[in-house]
Amino acid sequence: MPARAPWAQPGLRRERWHGLLFLAIPLLYLAGVVLLPLIQAVYSSTLRIRGMNASFVGLGNYARVLGSEVFWTSMGVSVRFTIACVALHIVLGFGLALLLESAGRARTALRLILMTPWMVAPAIAATIWLWLFEPHFGVLNYLLGLVGLSQGGQSWLGEPGTAFGAAVLVDVWRGTPFVMLLLSAGLQTVPRDQYEAAMLDGANALQQFRHVTLPNVAYIVAVAATLDTINTVRQFDIVAVLTGGGPAGATEVLPVLLYNTGFRANDLGGAAAIGVLLLVVVLALVVLHVSITGLDRTRA
Amino acid sequence: MNRLLVSVVVAALALAAPLARAETVTIQWQTANLTEPQFEPVWKAMIAAFEAANPDIHVEPVLVARKDDWTKFVTSAQARRAPCVVQTDLATAAFNGYLLPLDALWNAEPDSLRATYSPDIMRAMHWKGQLYGIPIWGGVFAEIYNRDMLAAAGLDPTHLPATAADYVDWLRRLTKPGQWGTAVLGGPTDTTTRLLLTWIWANGGEAFNADMTKATFAADPKSLEAIKAYLGLAAQGLAAPSPNTTNYLEQTVLFAQGRIATMRSAYWAIAKVLGDNPGLAGKLVVGPVPGNGATLATLSSASIAASCKYPSQAWAFIKFQAGKHWAVERARVSNWMPLRNDMADDPDIAKDPQLQRFLEIGRTARSYPLPHPAWADIAGTDIVKAVQRALLDPARTEQIFRELDAMLTRKLNDL
Amino acid sequence: MTRPWAILRWAALAVAVVVALFPFYWMLNTALKPPADVMRWPPEFISPNWSLAGFRTVLTERPVLRWFVNSAIVAAGSTLIATFLAALASYGLTRFHLRFSGAVMVLLLFAKMLPETLLVIPYFQMMSELNLIDTHLALILVYSSYSVPFAVWMLVGFFRAIPIEIDEAAMMDGASRLTALRRVILPLAAPGLVAAGLFTFLMAWNSYVWALVLTTDAQHYVMSVGVATMIGEYRVQWNELMAAALIATLPVLGLCALLDRHLASGLTAGAVKG
Repeated sequence: MPARAPWAQPGLRRERWHGLLFLAIPLLYLAGVVLLPLIQAVYSSTLRIRGMNASFVGLGNYARVLGSEVFWTSMGVSVRFTIACVALHIVLGFGLALLLESAGRARTALRLILMTPWMVAPAIAATIWLWLFEPHFGVLNYLLGLVGLSQGGQSWLGEPGTAFGAAVLVDVWRGTPFVMLLLSAGLQTVPRDQYEAAMLDGANALQQFRHVTLPNVAYIVAVAATLDTINTVRQFDIVAVLTGGGPAGATEVLPVLLYNTGFRANDLGGAAAIGVLLLVVVLALVVLHVSITGLDRTRA
Repeated sequence: MNRLLVSVVVAALALAAPLARAETVTIQWQTANLTEPQFEPVWKAMIAAFEAANPDIHVEPVLVARKDDWTKFVTSAQARRAPCVVQTDLATAAFNGYLLPLDALWNAEPDSLRATYSPDIMRAMHWKGQLYGIPIWGGVFAEIYNRDMLAAAGLDPTHLPATAADYVDWLRRLTKPGQWGTAVLGGPTDTTTRLLLTWIWANGGEAFNADMTKATFAADPKSLEAIKAYLGLAAQGLAAPSPNTTNYLEQTVLFAQGRIATMRSAYWAIAKVLGDNPGLAGKLVVGPVPGNGATLATLSSASIAASCKYPSQAWAFIKFQAGKHWAVERARVSNWMPLRNDMADDPDIAKDPQLQRFLEIGRTARSYPLPHPAWADIAGTDIVKAVQRALLDPARTEQIFRELDAMLTRKLNDL
Repeated sequence: MTRPWAILRWAALAVAVVVALFPFYWMLNTALKPPADVMRWPPEFISPNWSLAGFRTVLTERPVLRWFVNSAIVAAGSTLIATFLAALASYGLTRFHLRFSGAVMVLLLFAKMLPETLLVIPYFQMMSELNLIDTHLALILVYSSYSVPFAVWMLVGFFRAIPIEIDEAAMMDGASRLTALRRVILPLAAPGLVAAGLFTFLMAWNSYVWALVLTTDAQHYVMSVGVATMIGEYRVQWNELMAAALIATLPVLGLCALLDRHLASGLTAGAVKG
């Protein structure tokens, strides 16, 4: 490492306002498109909205939401869903990235093939899986029946446990490739000579992994995990299409609860309050992300 | 002389004015059914005919998947930009201020039009004493049997079961490996609720008190008995497995594929089933819902959005849709029941015995959706959740519906 | 490498490939079947009845090509704007010693995390007041702003890797900052720009909820919304739906295959080195 990385050198002092200018354009753009609706949404969360009639209730919606069993059930579902999905994304994604490393010439082609699930729109991915899971005519029951794992008519999306598992499965199917890509890129940066040195020391594959690979990619694993957590917490399309939150609320993650509260129960104020609470959760994760990855520090 | 000149000028102006103002007005039309293939040929022809007759009005159909229909409507209504002509859950939309009261337009119409609908149906078009919709089509729920499967089980299609007990007995005889008597619906749409209500009502039970302030699913013994009998079909293995993901769609597919022998559904299900399996033509037997004769009839209406800039044009299009010709077309092509009371003698209707049968069964039907602003949510979420929980844990059915009663009673009174 | 291990590795990769691709195979298999065969039990994996009829119906009876063009315009527009803005922001963040750059990064990430269902109604109101409903612009605005944060996140790594001396040399030769950025820095950061652009394109192409509410005329629908209108509660024509879904997915697959190299290198340089 150089004593002082080039980017860490201060720009010319009198030029700093140029930097502000460069930043100002994108930030103003974002403010216009995102901030105004956000302010409006936060304001809505303080209103009791009945269609075209609205009255100010202060923190009433928050009190109602936080005091409702449905919200906490949904929070629990969200936490379990996120932990399950992210853990599987990381484990499988890491595994696949390692396998790709040893795939030699087939590496590029295999990576592209393994990436395909991630390129499909989530809503469309969920629609495909809906068809695979179909209890009476779906191919999944047929295949499981062949190996004796299903007696036919198994309703994967109709029972709380399997429906939750199915939602996780679809999210893992679609989400793993992204993590794989990140980690695969990470593995590329591990200096070859470290492996050579380890081999000279007589380290076996496992020891190489533990002492060379892991320390080198620990940072990117952390980045991938937090980024993936933030994406998974917001996951709406897959669950909405697959189960709509059912059966009996077993897969009602927070974004789906927000949607159902606003557009099925017509409680737009309550929905806005759920949205703001979800935002607080996500914000906490962002702060975590930033403190892990050190985005807020100038790296020198 | 002068007076004559003035009157000529006035007359000329009066004639010219509409010409001068004849720019085309675009009205949007949103109903979830536009994306149903069985309706597509009808609505396309209808718009073309309407535009030919009204060159200054252009109708723009808004195609939305059913599950997103309400979302899209609410979003646009909140911004006061809702499509002019809409078909929505009337009480919910009216309560939220999304619809225009139609009383003035309706009262200006001749008596002949106003006498087209029964007072019962017109009552369902009102919310808080004001008119918000014009009835367009309906769906009477009946029991539809597969004639071949009845014959194979040695059952006589001319003596259909009259009571729920007889019906369950038939289901027992129609169930064998890979085949079930019927399907129990527990999927996440309000069709689940519709079917549950047919069982409750046909058993003489009530799910709500008369003014919709109290839920009585478990509180009314007749209702609870019907719920237990119906949901119990799944536990007894008389109904197709996986009820919790079975909606109208899955039900009709199972029926079309010969996996279930009977289904409780509306007239339109016949078009759907025959579309899936044309081989079933002529093999369907339609009978009343077993019980006391009560069944359910869905009413679909056309309304005008509160923010509509062209109410008179919208009204013209609604009247056009409601007209007899299109009522016949909808019945003939899409299998949607006409709601006008001058249809029985129409030659196209009269020669269709199946439709006649539905019209007959419909005489004792109760209208759906129920008149409450929270109905869409209650029917699509709360009741469905209770049904799903009871299907997963049949032993707790009574307890689950007691909880539902308490929860709904709270919700009904929390406006 | 010992033999059993190698076999095990290739077996694991084979399983992964099958799991990744099977749903696509089933999509294609369903799309090619006539409607009557779709519900056949046991399901057929290869059928003599395969035909392109489903694709033909979809292409002739729905304005699929129109949706396709709309999607392409919206995705391309969003990509251009997002990459442009992200390049400006990344340049500003890396070339000037700004004390609050960390805070800016947090702010950007925050913008990416907003739950879309929360913002749909107010955004629709805003677009409605600006008379932008049923326009490509409304979608481009929202997709580009949702993408800028991730694009910046990727590009910052790239820009940091380009020595600041290069700017200085260019400016010494009389180029202005903007010229230096355009002529020297952007070409050097090209792989990163391509990768960031690809991410934006994917996101814009695949997004659903925004397009659902912001377009009402079927002629203005984008692919994702158009495909969804084919799922009726009363009827799903699985073969046509799967055909449409394939048509919606193929261009993205093609684009990714084309740009795969850049995607990987973009991530390596950007995300990984941080």
